Amino acid sequence: MAIFDRLTHGPLAVHELAATMPVSRPAVSQHLRVLKEAGLVLDSKAGTRRLYQLDPEGVARLRAHFDQVWTRALRAFEIAASQDPTLPKEKKGEQKNAGTGRKHRRP
Amino acid sequence: MPELAESTVVRKSIRVSAPIERAFSVFVEQMETWWPPDHHMGAEPFQSIIIEPRIGGRWYERDANGVEGLWGFVRAWDPPHRVTLSWHIGPNWKYDPDLATASDVELRFTPEGPSATLVELTHSGLERHGEGYQQLREILDGPDAWGRTLEEFAKAAGLKATTRETSA
Repeated sequence: MAIFDRLTHGPLAVHELAATMPVSRPAVSQHLRVLKEAGLVLDSKAGTRRLYQLDPEGVARLRAHFDQVWTRALRAFEIAASQDPTLPKEKKGEQKNAGTGRKHRRP
Repeated sequence: MPELAESTVVRKSIRVSAPIERAFSVFVEQMETWWPPDHHMGAEPFQSIIIEPRIGGRWYERDANGVEGLWGFVRAWDPPHRVTLSWHIGPNWKYDPDLATASDVELRFTPEGPSATLVELTHSGLERHGEGYQQLREILDGPDAWGRTLEEFAKAAGLKATTRETSA
């Protein structure tokens, strides 16, 4: 998301964003609206200009969501991977396309 | 503000007591045996989670009735060392077909001796999920946001809840 990347360097107006991107100004505005509704971008007035900047709190919440997903998933993965492989595993009677007996070898 | 750009990346690492081949295999070939069961996209719980073992392969869940739900695609495939996946699931846990709004999950497996493996995960481009973010607020603000704890999950999976905290 190029707009997001550009805003990581500081607040910008719509025309400043549009000037450096291969998309139209209305497209930039539309994208900013989505980011604003999502809580990732804030806007403010500076004189006659409207400036857009990232909302660090909103960005932190987005990141926290994925952080939680992976913290939980990786802990469960750790338990599963560290099991004794000689024990019979709980399988769900489904043939997986990758093949459970498949061995991966280094190239 | 380069730290702000970094703030849309999640990095995790974990050490598992398993050879690299097993660590890789459990992660990508047996995902349904450990993935938190309440994190699914379909109406029904998944029975299997499949990563097709090739570049361009699909990453999807399938329920008991054979209904599939796409999670993303394989972008890099170098078993048992590295796999990169596109993640098309927004915070609302719905599939988004637009590649421009998908984030990237990279997994690296590094052997640490014959029976230990370092697994490093990098989930980047999270800002691309902005459009599903409104629902995320409701999810995170709701009661029992992430519900069950690890112990409950381990119990449900029939495992002993004796984990070590090794994630960084």
